[in-house]
Amino acid sequence: MSNSIFKQNYFEIFSVPVSTAPNLKQLKEKNHQLQQQVHPDRFANSDAAQKREAMQITSLVNEAYNTLKVPVARLQYMLTLKGVDMDGETDTSMDGAFLMQQMELREEIADVKSQSDPLDVLDTLSGDLKNQAQNLVLAFADFYQQDELEKSREIVRKLQFINKAQKEVSDIIEQIEDELI
Amino acid sequence: MALLQISEPGQSTKPHEHKFAIGIDLGTTNSLVASVRSGQSDTLPDADGGHLLPSVVQYTADGTVVGAQAKQNQIDDPHNTLSSIKRLMGRGVNELKSQFENLSAALPYEFAQTDSMVPKIKTVAGDKTAIEVSADILKALKLRGEKTLGDKLEGAVITVPAYFDDAQRQATKDAATLAGINVLRLLNEPTAAAVAYGLDSAAQGIVAVYDLGGGTFDISIMQLKKGVFEVLSTGGDSALGGDDFDHAIAEWIIKQADVKPTELSSSLLRVVLHEACKAKEALSVEEQVQINIEFAADKNWSGTLNRDELNSLIDPLIKKTLMSCRRALRDAEIEKDQVIDVVMVGGSTRALRVREQVADFFEAELKVDIDPDRVVAIGAAIQANALIGNDAEGNLLLMDVLPLSLGIETMGGLTEKIISRNTPIPVSRAQEFTTYKDGQTAMALHVVQGERELVDDCRSLAKFELRGFPPHVAGAARIRVTFQVDADGLLSVSAKEEISAVEASVEVKPSYGLQDSEIEAMLKASMEFAGDDKDARSLREQQVEADRVLEAIDSAMADDGEEMLSADEREKIQQVRSELAIARHNATATQELKEAMAKLEKVSAEYVARRMNASVQKTMAGHQVEEFNK
Repeated sequence: MSNSIFKQNYFEIFSVPVSTAPNLKQLKEKNHQLQQQVHPDRFANSDAAQKREAMQITSLVNEAYNTLKVPVARLQYMLTLKGVDMDGETDTSMDGAFLMQQMELREEIADVKSQSDPLDVLDTLSGDLKNQAQNLVLAFADFYQQDELEKSREIVRKLQFINKAQKEVSDIIEQIEDELI
Repeated sequence: MALLQISEPGQSTKPHEHKFAIGIDLGTTNSLVASVRSGQSDTLPDADGGHLLPSVVQYTADGTVVGAQAKQNQIDDPHNTLSSIKRLMGRGVNELKSQFENLSAALPYEFAQTDSMVPKIKTVAGDKTAIEVSADILKALKLRGEKTLGDKLEGAVITVPAYFDDAQRQATKDAATLAGINVLRLLNEPTAAAVAYGLDSAAQGIVAVYDLGGGTFDISIMQLKKGVFEVLSTGGDSALGGDDFDHAIAEWIIKQADVKPTELSSSLLRVVLHEACKAKEALSVEEQVQINIEFAADKNWSGTLNRDELNSLIDPLIKKTLMSCRRALRDAEIEKDQVIDVVMVGGSTRALRVREQVADFFEAELKVDIDPDRVVAIGAAIQANALIGNDAEGNLLLMDVLPLSLGIETMGGLTEKIISRNTPIPVSRAQEFTTYKDGQTAMALHVVQGERELVDDCRSLAKFELRGFPPHVAGAARIRVTFQVDADGLLSVSAKEEISAVEASVEVKPSYGLQDSEIEAMLKASMEFAGDDKDARSLREQQVEADRVLEAIDSAMADDGEEMLSADEREKIQQVRSELAIARHNATATQELKEAMAKLEKVSAEYVARRMNASVQKTMAGHQVEEFNK
């Protein structure tokens, strides 16, 4: 393992084709393989410079793995490969119907605790969100293929919304479950 | 000189070539040291055969007492005898006050007024920080290691609770530095336990490690696979443990006895805590226990504590641990039924109620057949051994995570997360900042650790001042700050102005840790490191190396010196060998010793080459060349 790893993109590091749906099991195995070679523990007897390099390379491998593993991060990264950097973007226009839908969803989450069986409602919501996310990833694949970058980008924005909603749902589930213990 | 040590293929290397490293479990209540010997990892006993070293240090006018003796003296000398000191590691004065609010009286120490961020406890031997007290415990363990293993000690892996934050980890590392220990790695306690358990049982799959010690609680969800130990998530509470059970029982006793907590002397408080602990332990066997305490000459109290009562006292604490378990499972995206084993670690998992509740929660049988006290040290020793290169198969791999999110303070006292909890480490993240004033050449960053939105609710780690980047108009400078967390879970920060590529200097003001200058002062004050400790350490290392070289040449000469060398050659080597032997004992500078070693290496170079040839011929005798190409 040499410095050249810093010139590879994350998909190259993990020897998988650029894809919206990489084989997660394969990624995990490759991660173990890479870590076996680069982890700082392998360089415990080396000099300070080599130790430092091992730490940096392992940090990179970890970052690459985390990015490829999580759909929204993966898609956002795929966009950077085509020159679109979404970090710190100010243009966040999105279609009105989607926003309406999101607002309704938020309201539903907000008063879930007044429902007779909030956990059931939350489970359903969680399932819905998961489906929506999956559909968005499929749609992204098509747009990305056709270099429709603006549309791809909008999908990532939508996914970010859905991720936030998912987080809210799981936070409330956690709260309710903690109260039940 | 490595080539002198040729052994035949398949033969083990000679014992004198073996390097040792130790694993240290620096616990709240007890500490242990372990090492791998003859392929087996085990804890090392003291002269009396005891493995546990009580983490208690007594400071007297004549010296320092560590361990069982100190523990015995605690009731008579509560102010100078310090225990459960791990709970103070990496904690600031103000934090301690709030943490111990309801049992402020239970901390029988007098804190010194100090300018330092680090609390100091008054003792007859001077003011002591938790770091110094921990260093004294570590010294005792290191000494035990050296006595058992000889002085070929390469270094140590020291375990910390997985949920320890950056300040607590740094404090532990500082203590090791102060004790003169070469720290190979800080290792998370549940990870260490999983290594010992996993290698022993050859289990593969998802495992939960529930580690409830004297003062800390950790839960780690891990995946075990052929020597790879991958932490998926970790959670816990670095201020929750068996001590809190004792405190809950002590408060119950005080209430039952109708005594005012404020009227209790330090000694009497120690007695109550001691009795509480005894009662807790007894209730793991008995249904109920009788407690007798003499509060005053005319006030004897006795009462009965049964299991139900005990359970009601400790259930709220156990519930807190289960909440952490739930969160850890969720973070790992693992369902309870995927967990194949629940490994119980830490002395407090002996409490029956804990076992009952944890088994209920995971809906699984628990692994309680391993010694919950020793498993962490044993695992640490296995990793230490692998780190110094003794792991023959070389496939032990420990992948750990950051336990608590790292963030920075933004406008309005809010935190912005830079690295979220349960991110695999090592990890680095860069963030870009800009200036808000024309000509600004410096900026400050406040780094915090924790999950809460408000900076005040998180742990303040440090304030970083970045200086020396070139002036630009407001908003034009691009300062890229890199946060790097290493494999020990320790954070470092570097900064660079992107346009000019000027490295900004980073000045760290730890919120609670020791300043470098304070550590230096402690090192200087420490008798062992009188004078220039760095030189002394390096000389010591060269002496060890010289011993190794001397042993190697002696053993080679005894083996085949007669047949491979002429009398002249032998004499020449012997001559230079004695020079090195003398330098080994008399040299005061590292350089002197290095030169003597280099000289011996030079005169014996030809001999080394001949031995190597002979060895290769011997290996190949009777074999076809092709066999070696396989």
